Amino acid sequence: MTDSIQTTKNLQKPIKGRSLWIDAIGRLRKRKLAMICFGIILFYVFIACYVQVAEWTGSSWPTNWDESTGQKYESPNAQNIFGTDIFGYSILRKVLYGTKISLQVAFFASILSILIGVPMGAAAGYFGGFIDDVIVWIYSTLSSIPYILLILAFALVLKDKTPFGFKLAGATTVYLAIGLTSWVGICRLIRGEILKRKESEYVLAARAMGCSGGRIIFKHLLPNTFHIVIITFSLRFMSFIHAEVILSFLGLGEKDKPSWGAMIDSARLDLPKGYWWEMTAATLAILIISLALNIFGDALRDCLDPKLRTD
Amino acid sequence: MDNLVLKRIIKTLTITVLAGGGIYVLSFLLRSGGIPENEVVIYSAIGSKIDSLDPGNIGDTSSSSVASQIFECLYDYHYLKRPYQVIPQLAEGLPSVSEDGKVYTIRIKQGIYFTDDPCFEGQRRELTAADFIYSWKRLANIKYLSRNWWVFDGKIDGLDDFREYTKSCKSMDEVDYSRPVQGLQALDKYTLQITLTKPWPQILYLLAHLPTAPVAKEAIDYYGKSIINHPIGTGPFVLDKWNRGSYIEMVRNKCFHDEFYPSEGQPEDLENGYLADAGKKLPFADRLFFMLIQEDPPMWFLFLQGKLDASGIPKDNFQQAIQEGQTLSRELAEKGITLKTFRNPSTYWIGFNMEDPLLGSNKPLRQAIACCIDKKRYIDLFTNNRAEVADGFIPPLMKSYDPDIKEKGFGFDIERGKKLVEQAKQLNQGSLPVLTLAMPSTDVVARQYGQFYKKSFKEIGLELEVDYMDWPTYLGKMHQKDFQMFQSGWVADYPDAENFLQLFYGKNVSPGPNNFNYVDPEFDKLYERASAMLDTPERTQLYRQAEAMIIEECPAVFLLHGVAFTLHHSWVENYKPNTFQYGLSKFRRIDVEKRKAYRYK
Repeated sequence: MTDSIQTTKNLQKPIKGRSLWIDAIGRLRKRKLAMICFGIILFYVFIACYVQVAEWTGSSWPTNWDESTGQKYESPNAQNIFGTDIFGYSILRKVLYGTKISLQVAFFASILSILIGVPMGAAAGYFGGFIDDVIVWIYSTLSSIPYILLILAFALVLKDKTPFGFKLAGATTVYLAIGLTSWVGICRLIRGEILKRKESEYVLAARAMGCSGGRIIFKHLLPNTFHIVIITFSLRFMSFIHAEVILSFLGLGEKDKPSWGAMIDSARLDLPKGYWWEMTAATLAILIISLALNIFGDALRDCLDPKLRTD
Repeated sequence: MDNLVLKRIIKTLTITVLAGGGIYVLSFLLRSGGIPENEVVIYSAIGSKIDSLDPGNIGDTSSSSVASQIFECLYDYHYLKRPYQVIPQLAEGLPSVSEDGKVYTIRIKQGIYFTDDPCFEGQRRELTAADFIYSWKRLANIKYLSRNWWVFDGKIDGLDDFREYTKSCKSMDEVDYSRPVQGLQALDKYTLQITLTKPWPQILYLLAHLPTAPVAKEAIDYYGKSIINHPIGTGPFVLDKWNRGSYIEMVRNKCFHDEFYPSEGQPEDLENGYLADAGKKLPFADRLFFMLIQEDPPMWFLFLQGKLDASGIPKDNFQQAIQEGQTLSRELAEKGITLKTFRNPSTYWIGFNMEDPLLGSNKPLRQAIACCIDKKRYIDLFTNNRAEVADGFIPPLMKSYDPDIKEKGFGFDIERGKKLVEQAKQLNQGSLPVLTLAMPSTDVVARQYGQFYKKSFKEIGLELEVDYMDWPTYLGKMHQKDFQMFQSGWVADYPDAENFLQLFYGKNVSPGPNNFNYVDPEFDKLYERASAMLDTPERTQLYRQAEAMIIEECPAVFLLHGVAFTLHHSWVENYKPNTFQYGLSKFRRIDVEKRKAYRYK
């Protein structure tokens, strides 16, 4: 008897609902490794921001990477912990400066690809018909071209152009090239998700209340697919860093400033001579951020998508 | 992703296995190879595939170095003497030249025979003046599509008309070689007379250039198109086997005329043992074995194993081979390997476009840039010290090189540079814009050059933008004069400074070789006078005067002259590097026992 009264009382107590996000963060916090990786990512972001601020304020370190801090090809030592390159420049400073370039490129390229991919995917999925046909045709064509070749072609076309009086050079070319070519993946995902959801009750209800297509997409559908955007963002971020490295390695990236790709490119010639430190420093920097992004992105997907939950 | 990695691993493994297999097969070939035990063989590497051994159509160094063992020219360079000196080879002596410098009469040695071949139907075939006339008309024949027509283009009286005539022929066979050419006459069987359209003393160097080597008409008619596989010459060696894409073997030419090792050379040659074989009959080797090795690593391994007698130094192995101070590393010295360095006829520079409104009219600015570049550091950073500082454009190996050039040139001097920049600013209403430099490559080395220049310019307060581009874009820009500064260089074709002077000649402006677009009537007058003169002290004086003029006007910052490095084993004697001559195997002597001992060890 008392038990049943207790249960009734419990039932009467309002249950505090948890949103998908709070739920996901709670789950994410339990994963130690993912949190460590998140810390690493924050550290990289901090470095990139620091370098950017230093550049704005005219502070010298580490933007003075083009000052000799020792003899040419000094091996790692107390003064230059990552050693020096052919000109006697500190490799530590180059790596730090490269962090800014790489993260900047990856960030802007991601934003650009989301800005293009998400509305297009949503429009294709929601409206269907002719609009869908056109968008699917565009992305099928783009995705039929090998990715790296496509980026290369875009980078070559965009290089040294001056649209609207703004000269495209170095990092700007790179993130435009990457952003303009890599929206296909996210566009497809969003299209599929919208296709799946557009017949669900809440959408039908909104439609019955006379909401416009735009309102339904932006107010109702997209917020419900946003976890996909976040996951893709974190996973693609890494591939954009790699794309920047490849473009710089091929001489299409930042030409006068150190980026990780450019460092690997120049270290390639030094390696046979036994000067391993520049290559090591740049690859380590890439390795650590790639690993962190990968692990964190995976964890994020697990936590945000309840169907994939493993814990 | 995993798949990709796996694929890459498989690819790497396959390449390794293939390369290893290749080396194994090569070494097996060299061990057994079917080469008679008692023969003296010289083993050399060739770096690129050879398409043709027809001298009329050879344009690359690999083919030239092989074909030069088979063919000979009227003239050649002295093996030992420096500065380089032209000596008669098939000719009896130097040509006698008419007063006006246009008519050259050349006596050809008697008793020189083409090597025996079925195309001569069992007869011995002697070389005559008519063979030269035939061979040079063949170069002119447009149906033959020779890549060496430039040698005589516009130079010999009537030869261009002959070329015009061949345009009307339907095929190569239809061309009538008996059609006379005014400027090419055989006065008798052994006397050749060449009439030029204008004085051109440099013809002597081109008569030492492989494309002018004589070929026999019978051989060309007999072999037709496959003449590229059947080189029939008068030289010390004849082709034995040619396994395309793998190796070429040559044996001693039994019909080779008497030729002897030089008895004179430089004073230090005696000390270096280059004169030990003076007066002995050439060649010393019985057989030549050229291996086609396109990659550096296998070539280097074969050299270290003693399976190649000599080798250049691959870039990646430079640290292993050469110590600081440019001496051979201990590891290689203990193997008995010798290092030889020699000068290249090359000069590299940063050029200014004299038609640029800013640079063309601002001499202090050009001179300031000349002062800001630390050439020694440049050489140290980028060339493994394989270069010499350049103060002018005439390389030190040339006779007309000015020993006092250092005083005339602009050395590295930041203070002077800063002062000149101030003057330049005044000339340009108080300030200077950002300068741009065109770089003919986008690779990492080009970017390192770019960084170096930027930094150097900054030292004297100038700002530089470096424009990296691929080679075709760069050439396009050069042709359209669409640039401010450019990085470039020149390797001379023959040991005459005229080859460099023409780069500043007013009539040669872009799209010609004068990319500086430098026009100075006074210089042009000097050039026209000097380039038509025979090699005399007066001409040398004029060359130096012209060089001083250029340095003062500063249409370019001269950076460096190249120096080449080569290595050879202890069993190779008479190995004196020569930058203009190709057919050098006849001079080399091999100590077979020493080589055997090394390989065995």
